[in-house]
Amino acid sequence: MILFWMLLTQLALADLAMAAEIIANSSVGVNSLSLASARSIFGMRQVKWPDDKHIQVFVLADTHPTHIALCKERLNLFPYQLRQSWDRLVYAGMAQAPIEVANEEELVNKVATTPGAIGYVRKVKTNDAIKIIAIQ
Amino acid sequence: MRSRSLQYSKALAPLGLALCVGFAQAQELGHGVQAHGFVSQSVIHTSDNHVGGSGEDSLGWDLREMGVNLSWRPTPDWLISGQALARWAGESDKGDLRLDYGFVDRTLFSDGDSQVGLRLGKIKNPYGFYNTTRDVAHTRPGIIMPQSIYLDQIRNFFLAAPGLSLYGNSENNVGNLSWQISVLRPEVDDPSLEYVFLANDQAGHFKGKNSWLSQAMFDMGGTWRMGLSLGEMNMAYHPSLLGEIEIAGSHRLPTWVLSLEHNTEDWSFTVEYGQTKVDATGYRLFNQNATTEAGYVQATRRMGNNWQGYLRHDVLYYDNNDRDGTAFAGSALPLMLGLPAHSRFAKDWVFGVRHDIEHIALSAEWHHVDGTAWLAQSDNPRAGLIRQWDMLLLQAAWRF
Repeated sequence: MILFWMLLTQLALADLAMAAEIIANSSVGVNSLSLASARSIFGMRQVKWPDDKHIQVFVLADTHPTHIALCKERLNLFPYQLRQSWDRLVYAGMAQAPIEVANEEELVNKVATTPGAIGYVRKVKTNDAIKIIAIQ
Repeated sequence: MRSRSLQYSKALAPLGLALCVGFAQAQELGHGVQAHGFVSQSVIHTSDNHVGGSGEDSLGWDLREMGVNLSWRPTPDWLISGQALARWAGESDKGDLRLDYGFVDRTLFSDGDSQVGLRLGKIKNPYGFYNTTRDVAHTRPGIIMPQSIYLDQIRNFFLAAPGLSLYGNSENNVGNLSWQISVLRPEVDDPSLEYVFLANDQAGHFKGKNSWLSQAMFDMGGTWRMGLSLGEMNMAYHPSLLGEIEIAGSHRLPTWVLSLEHNTEDWSFTVEYGQTKVDATGYRLFNQNATTEAGYVQATRRMGNNWQGYLRHDVLYYDNNDRDGTAFAGSALPLMLGLPAHSRFAKDWVFGVRHDIEHIALSAEWHHVDGTAWLAQSDNPRAGLIRQWDMLLLQAAWRF
């Protein structure tokens, strides 16, 4: 019984530790981003790709485990900090908010069908319309 | 009575729009257009003095705000934004619908990690951590702002103004540096402005003069945030045609604020400290020259399940050479008007809790205040001001 619980705990921890993958629409001409650029894009401060195309950011709810994984493990931020930084910009008219979707499936669909889109998922399934963006 | 119904009908416009857009969850309206908004309502009980319509035996319900904004990004380099706001705060704010901000933003340069741009129109003034979004309950560090730095009595003067602003943003692996410098003409429609700067409600009016404000903010991945806000606000007093020539003059207000914040997963520690020099010239009766000193420290603890608690100590002195106000109270005009010494300082202990349920925030906040410096004089007859007082506030806020 104890072994079972230890195994379960290990599995749970392994699951939590698995970072979210950053994904983009296949039209995006970028394969990797610096941490600074990724923070700038998800912080809604950088709004265009190097080819001048508009970046459309899709996110999950602040409390979604994949959103928490993106913030903590990819961006080195806490979710509340990202929320505060969006609010400071959005309610002063200085930037637009990311588009929040209900679940990961919808997020993948939106990224796959929106030119210039960026988002994240826990596990990437084979899908020609999206690409994985590495963080350098 | 007529004016009251007019106020409510005016308020229905933004509320109606906010509710329609919000309940439809249509933040993204297509073609690069977004809508967002907020509503909050507070209930206030004060042991003495009056805030938001509170009285000796009655609760105050006159602390309320609602706003809705639209933004349109036709191309990545252009952004057009505007926000309508209605706010109620006792006698000093009656819910008139106004343009909170409205400007055009053009990105001039962008290379991935750095951007430089220009904004033209009515722009929110960056001042300390919170000034630009001080009317959005969700973004405030409590139910009411720390009054030392963010004095509600002169909020419109510092809040937003028509002008031109150059801004930039630079990102590297250590953090993000953002800066802004604005030339502006401050808005001077605060009813309390004359109480604060001329000791009384006068028959004439202030007029904003050319001013500037700047801010640099360095954000180290959210762990540490530090900033300096610096500027000079200017205005002139125009007496009414019915006389008052003895009080024509002008005010020059050089100001700065240092801001520092440390964030961990569970804690945020915030400290802000600033000074504003009040340099009045030309007034024959009341040339008030002093340096206002303001600062607060706050610790916020996130307790899980969307609960947080916070403790703040907030201190305001209108004159750092006369902190207890005795020299002021003994001078000619204040003596004649019966202004007490404790109207020149306020030391405020604040304890609060907040619970977030999706887009709703419910808060409760208790204040113990020594001093009456930041009480609205239009709500508080001088003779009735009590130096030591307590206040309990409850607030419900919703945003989309």
